[in-house]
Amino acid sequence: MLFNSLSFALFLPVVFVLYWFVAGKSLKYQNVLLLCASYFFYACWDWRFLFLLIFSTLLDYVTGIKMSGAGSAKARKFWFWLSVIVNLGFLGVFKYFNFFAASMAVAMANIGLHVNPWTLKVILPVGISFYTFHGLSYVIDIYKNRIKAERNFIDYSLFVSFFPLLVAGPIERATHLLPQVKKVRTFDYYMAADGLRQILWGLFKKAVIADQCSEFANVIFANSSGYTGSTLVLGALFFTFQIYCDFSGYSDMALGIARLFGIDLLRNFAFPYFSRDIAEFWRRWHISLSSWFRDYLYIPLGGSKGGTWTKVRNTFIIFLVSGFWHGANWTFITWGLLNALYIMPLIIFNKNRVNLQIVAQGRALPSLREFFQILLTFSLTVFAWIFFRATSMSHAFSYIGRIFSKSLFTVPQFDASRVMVFETVILIIVFIIIEWSGRESQYAIASLARFKRKSYRYAFYFSLILMIYLFMGREQQFIYFQF
Amino acid sequence: MSKFIKQTVLFLVASILMLAVIILVPNYIVNKKSRFVISNKSKIVLFGHSHPECAFNDTLINSLKNLSHSAEPYFYTYQKVKMVLLQNPQIETVLIEFTNNQIDAKMDEWTWGYKYMSSMFPKYTPFMDRADIGLLVKNNPKDFMNCLSVSTRTNLTRLLTSNYEFTNVIGGYLRINNSQTNSTADSSSTPPIKITTERLSFVNLLYLQKIISYCTVRGKRVFLVRSPQHRSYEYLKNEYEFLRIRQKMFSSVEFLDFNKFPIADDGFADFGHLNYKGASKFSNWFNIMLNSGLLNTDKKQFLINQGISAVIANDKTVSLALQSFAAHQLDFRLSYAKARTY
Repeated sequence: MLFNSLSFALFLPVVFVLYWFVAGKSLKYQNVLLLCASYFFYACWDWRFLFLLIFSTLLDYVTGIKMSGAGSAKARKFWFWLSVIVNLGFLGVFKYFNFFAASMAVAMANIGLHVNPWTLKVILPVGISFYTFHGLSYVIDIYKNRIKAERNFIDYSLFVSFFPLLVAGPIERATHLLPQVKKVRTFDYYMAADGLRQILWGLFKKAVIADQCSEFANVIFANSSGYTGSTLVLGALFFTFQIYCDFSGYSDMALGIARLFGIDLLRNFAFPYFSRDIAEFWRRWHISLSSWFRDYLYIPLGGSKGGTWTKVRNTFIIFLVSGFWHGANWTFITWGLLNALYIMPLIIFNKNRVNLQIVAQGRALPSLREFFQILLTFSLTVFAWIFFRATSMSHAFSYIGRIFSKSLFTVPQFDASRVMVFETVILIIVFIIIEWSGRESQYAIASLARFKRKSYRYAFYFSLILMIYLFMGREQQFIYFQF
Repeated sequence: MSKFIKQTVLFLVASILMLAVIILVPNYIVNKKSRFVISNKSKIVLFGHSHPECAFNDTLINSLKNLSHSAEPYFYTYQKVKMVLLQNPQIETVLIEFTNNQIDAKMDEWTWGYKYMSSMFPKYTPFMDRADIGLLVKNNPKDFMNCLSVSTRTNLTRLLTSNYEFTNVIGGYLRINNSQTNSTADSSSTPPIKITTERLSFVNLLYLQKIISYCTVRGKRVFLVRSPQHRSYEYLKNEYEFLRIRQKMFSSVEFLDFNKFPIADDGFADFGHLNYKGASKFSNWFNIMLNSGLLNTDKKQFLINQGISAVIANDKTVSLALQSFAAHQLDFRLSYAKARTY
């Protein structure tokens, strides 16, 4: 059930009405209802994996309680590692087993031993990377005595499985979401209205920009060997906007939906393509994952405390793991390492926390220096996305090789209607203008709430709906569902 | 809470109304102002997919207008037939291609598969009725919305440019100059195409029936035709099933089978399509056949087979043979007419 599907458009109002009118002000009923709705939502993808989700939830719930009640540090450690190993074990089996088996076979072949790798023929359970990280953050926080174990199974299950964040995040923390789950939610008009606005904006990003761009990006990446360098640059640009609008559009919808139920989720994106350096980009892109790695990997490894070498090592490790988290493919690992290389000069020269403020805050336009900084960061990001999108390393290298050829200075040409390409480019420009003007808010059109005149607001909403209808691309799966 | 629900419902209703207006008004205007007018001299029209599109060069055939279009299943042909017949009362005869691949389940994909629906549906939306729309929604709801959106944009563009001319986009003879039959036949790298005769496209067959009924009700003569195909054409493997269906479902409609019309390999663009050379040979022959009254006799297939035999027998002196055949045909018609008067 996609957020932008008809079935979800029926599901959401039903759950909303039941939640506020039937479950009413009873916290217990509200949570039971949301949990049932979440399990139904997940079962619509594949009901068989619902058992895996419930098992994973049960495991973390039990190990959390056992850790809290453990009489000795040894017992505490035992329960902690049991949870970590089983959680990562599931992730390893479903997501990485085939990759390791194939890589091992290649390594063996290199030393003259030819083996047929034994691979698993199973599909990846949707959202496994996300709910595993939810669970891990919970048990790590208990182990580190940051939080107490949750005794109410329904509340804990809802924390893991709340349907807006279940399949593609944001990756929540127990410290942020559990207190909200345990508090009676009363209806807040402004919060709900803001939620609807954010859903609308997310839908625009997904249906119009991401889905339109995906059609062109798919064509160009699939037939890259036949296109000129300039066309391949265009393909990389289309993918750059596709992945941002696809994932941030999903996050906007998730945040908006949660707000309809009186719950605030973690912000996941903060206008990353307006970043002035790569460090800023990573503070603004997939924030819930970046901060997860910072808190549960980078800092435990020593963070920035042990001098430059420790910082460099730890940075490489988190980018490597981040790339690997995205998928079992060398392309993702290379993408992670490339970003680590980008950020390295900033880490070494201690410049990674220079651009903490919003770019051109209080001004309409950036300075020339800021503009070129944004342009450079954006170009580096586009280049890295080529590895992310390519099907293999050889594909990525041949793609890049063709970009840096004489054909870079030709007019882009590929198998698509020129009118449609032109329309998409115009839509992207409109989108960038709206994002830029709203960059000081939580999401681009949040500031509309401050408009006194209702007519302006509504004119904008109707225009957005009209654009969504007229320029929607072919419905595509959200990219991050595969992770 | 009630304020929120009230405002949300109002907003949704207003949005739905706005979209309904944006969809329906241009649709209605395009429907009313559309122009499907063809030349007054065209008394015979031909509909179908790419096979007749490449086979019947209508510049060589008197009074015939080829309105076939590549990858067009009967579902979209039906929409076209309705408008063409409505706006061209001079049309007396309708020829509809009926060939081997048109019974195959592949035609379902041509009807509602995204690749085909996204190009055909926007063109014919203004002429579809509820049942037609319902069929597409039922079979491909996921892609339908996107195609509807493209359709609205197409209609709005027509409105803005005042372009209601459809005649130039609904089909016509397609000239192909090259021939790939030899290379295709010899190519060992081309994997053989799997032919499924187990699954039929009932929707395609249903819409063929609808076309026939529509034409018959309006007093038009209807013939099913089969264009020449190469002997290696993969779908010929379902010949038995094809003939069975023709007999079972369309026995009341006369079938003009040109499948075995002799065309050398270099007259084919590929196994299913004639190139310009093949189309010229076939169209010239067909023109002679038409002029000699093929459509007015009772033993049409017999005459077609005779004509084909004549071409085979003496391909070099084809024109002479055909002339003699035409004379013979005239005698036959006279004696036949005479016999009927008794």
